[in-house]
Amino acid sequence: MRISDFWMSLIKEWKRNPNVGTFAWILHRVTGVIIVLYLFPHFWSIASSRGGAEDFTHKMQSYESPLFKFLEMGLVLLVAVHMLNGLRITIVDFFLLTKSQKALFWVGVVLFLAVLVASIIAFFPKIFV
Amino acid sequence: MVANMVEKRTTRGVYGWFLQRITGLFLAFFLIVHLNIMHFSQGSLQIDFQTVTERLQSSLFWAIFYFLFVPSVVFHGLNGIWGIFMDYQPNPKSKKSVLFILWIIGIGLTLYGAWGLVPLFYA
Repeated sequence: MRISDFWMSLIKEWKRNPNVGTFAWILHRVTGVIIVLYLFPHFWSIASSRGGAEDFTHKMQSYESPLFKFLEMGLVLLVAVHMLNGLRITIVDFFLLTKSQKALFWVGVVLFLAVLVASIIAFFPKIFV
Repeated sequence: MVANMVEKRTTRGVYGWFLQRITGLFLAFFLIVHLNIMHFSQGSLQIDFQTVTERLQSSLFWAIFYFLFVPSVVFHGLNGIWGIFMDYQPNPKSKKSVLFILWIIGIGLTLYGAWGLVPLFYA
């Protein structure tokens, strides 16, 4: 299995079934993989605590730049997408609500827009300094 | 209703399916709290060793919180990768080696994450 197979399978699935459920499935995979990859540098940053207070503070302050704040905002939005869709999947699975999966998708979209607005308010002052 | 689904075994494993949802629900809680503190609630507060350790040592809650957060997120992430991998009909041999690699990464990453957190709780 190659990386291109991963992307091709997403496109293939979309062509086979172009619906919101497939769109959510694609988003879930892509955001999930990115978040897993993020865990490695994240744990590495926290592990700077092993070098003492100064190392930790120095590491944390290196993430205060507008570029990192922009990336952090992107990460928060990826987590929001994955979390909201994950909750949708869990609700559908546990309460046998497959018939409501599309409606729940749109509930998720509305909640995502709320997170987006909150993120703009929280992050833009730090991105556009 | 959950019991019905637990009985219906699939090739991907029903324990993985169930644990993915349970850890997912925990992670929803952990991440709402974590991201709210880090990015939404305290506006201009500096993130440095002093403020982080003060918060984490203010209550036993935070020790329990973060030492459950790490294994939950590692399991959830790697179990998700396993699920994706299983969608590509791997042969039994590559299934076995990928499972082995994921377990090594999972245990290693959990220990590494916890190891990095320890100084924040007693310094």
